[in-house]
Amino acid sequence: MRRAPGIALAIPAWAWLLIFFVAPVGMVIWFSFGYKPGIFGTHANDVLSFDRYAEAMSPTFFATFQNTLWVGIAGTLLCLLIGLPAAYWMAVKAPPSRRGLLLALVMVPFWTNFLVRTIGWQVILAPEGWASTLLQSIGMLNGPLDILYTRTAVLIGVVYNYLPLMILPLFVAFDRVGHSLREASKDLGAGRWSTFFRVTLPLARPGVIAGVLLVFIPLMGDYITATVLGGAKGNMVGQLVASQFQTAQNWALGSAMAVLLILVIMATVAAGAVLVWLVTWPLRARQRLVLDTKEAVR
Amino acid sequence: MTIEATQSATATPPESGTDASGAVVLEGLVKRYSGVVAVDGLSLRIEPGEFISLLGPSGCGKTTTLRMIAGFEQPDEGDIRISGRSVLGQPPYRRNVNTVFQAYALFPHMSVAENVAYGLQQHRTPRSELRERVASALELVKMRSFADRKPMQLSGGQQQRVALARALVNRPSVLLLDEPLGALDRQLREEMQLELKLLQAKLGITFVFVTHDQGEALSMSDRIAIMREGRIEQLADASTIYGRPASAYVAAFVGQQNFLRGTVADGGLAVTTPSGVVLRAGETALVGHTEGQAAVRPESVSIERADAAATRGERGSVNAASGTLLSISHQGETMQYLVEIGEATSLIVRRPTPTAPQLSAGDPVLCTWAAENVQLFPLDDAPEDAGYVPPPTA
Repeated sequence: MRRAPGIALAIPAWAWLLIFFVAPVGMVIWFSFGYKPGIFGTHANDVLSFDRYAEAMSPTFFATFQNTLWVGIAGTLLCLLIGLPAAYWMAVKAPPSRRGLLLALVMVPFWTNFLVRTIGWQVILAPEGWASTLLQSIGMLNGPLDILYTRTAVLIGVVYNYLPLMILPLFVAFDRVGHSLREASKDLGAGRWSTFFRVTLPLARPGVIAGVLLVFIPLMGDYITATVLGGAKGNMVGQLVASQFQTAQNWALGSAMAVLLILVIMATVAAGAVLVWLVTWPLRARQRLVLDTKEAVR
Repeated sequence: MTIEATQSATATPPESGTDASGAVVLEGLVKRYSGVVAVDGLSLRIEPGEFISLLGPSGCGKTTTLRMIAGFEQPDEGDIRISGRSVLGQPPYRRNVNTVFQAYALFPHMSVAENVAYGLQQHRTPRSELRERVASALELVKMRSFADRKPMQLSGGQQQRVALARALVNRPSVLLLDEPLGALDRQLREEMQLELKLLQAKLGITFVFVTHDQGEALSMSDRIAIMREGRIEQLADASTIYGRPASAYVAAFVGQQNFLRGTVADGGLAVTTPSGVVLRAGETALVGHTEGQAAVRPESVSIERADAAATRGERGSVNAASGTLLSISHQGETMQYLVEIGEATSLIVRRPTPTAPQLSAGDPVLCTWAAENVQLFPLDDAPEDAGYVPPPTA
């Protein structure tokens, strides 16, 4: 008997993707070319047009989009900035016997519902909350803390909610680089920073990419954190999309907005990748060494 | 490496003295890991340009010692001087030593040439000089044509050569090698042993070689330090280590041995086993002991049929034992005989295959050996610590 091809192992995953990802996204794209037929209908596709896209691109939408992109990029960068040293410390510096405990601690926030822990931050950051009282009592603040319903509050919530998604892949990546390569680097004359930027970080690149995508993509669609902590200033595209589907019952317009959101996420990720590639190009050029393998040295 | 440089390195004998470039002095080194002593007051002077091996079973502290020289570990007590200067507290990247790691530790994201260039780039070597030195280092280990490959595309032996080039390109005064041949198969290992030795002679760099393989240490080293429980048990050249081991531990660890226990006779010159075999040594004496052990190497023992020996008038009294041949095994260059010479006592005998006597299992045989091949040791020194396993008996 012939061995079953290995692809059979992937059939459940393919089926899952097809039913729960490709089909819904396809439907959203399809709806986005339709229209809302009347007060009680949600969508109709008998006439196809780009009108919903034109309708979606209103000044309000652009302002919201800008805000979303800002929160998405700033939140991802903050998570990366905080997550990199934390994950490096956990994977490299912390005693190996403690690593399990540290990983468990990173996961602790996930034991509570997303909405509940975000509301928890609302309680903490409120002008009459304990963070405000504490800062005033130690004299670091005159008057109550005024950051709830600002971008600062949104970013605090975003970092709190998404940091584990950044730390976990980074931890795995740093852990895989292994001790001996860092030792070899130091043995060859490289200091700590040189070792980190030339050996550890390049080898952990898959983890950095995974972490950035895991934080950035869900963050762009998230509106709970922004609504709870940002109030009126925390308008996110996700919120607009949800209100079109749920409140206005205009699935066609909501779909068009959703498609635009997907396109912007893809464009941003691509732009980010190109930017990083361009910025690091001189560095890589300096380190590259191609010897002519044919011609022998005198 | 230019031709002139190579010639001058071989022409001038390495200058002696503990302050010269390439000299390593270890003084009273102690290293403890959470209370457990790994290195216990070790002192060692390594001459410039010397090939020295640290040999011992796993856990004897040899790798810890090497890592302290490299700078990966700091000693709890004692001093390390490289080329006359104390390196205590200095990180690895400030020391003029380089290491060839056990698993090579090549950077997988860099090409072979980039791996070799790494150390030079850290020292801000100008680009033209860098290219030349990388190329000649790769030439030195015959890996020039693999310069643009990634380490993953190389075999174990090739990776080994790249690791060597990566260390040597920095022109260290001391090269540390941490069981570098452990992962290679036997034939390649023997080839690399020869090449390493030639390379060392050519470059005149001090090599500190850590291994648990006695064959490797014996074949390459100028001197061998046999280590036991964080200390040096014996420091000598290969023939002294092999022929005049300082203790039963060394005798058991290097090469194969027959250990026979008994009472001390002849004023400390001989040991008599319970079954009456007398082992008399040429010089070493066990003065002040009532019991002791004698060691004889399998290849120092001759074997013949007992009746043939009897016709020649040979009797088994001193440095001879009669017994029954239990088994014969072919080992390639040698034939190995297992002889039962008393109750639960057996002797391993090895003869070169071309001159090995034709015997069959069950034959009565006589084993003889010369007094200069007998080593006597006190009983309190257990060869089992060095991993000695007595020959099986029927």
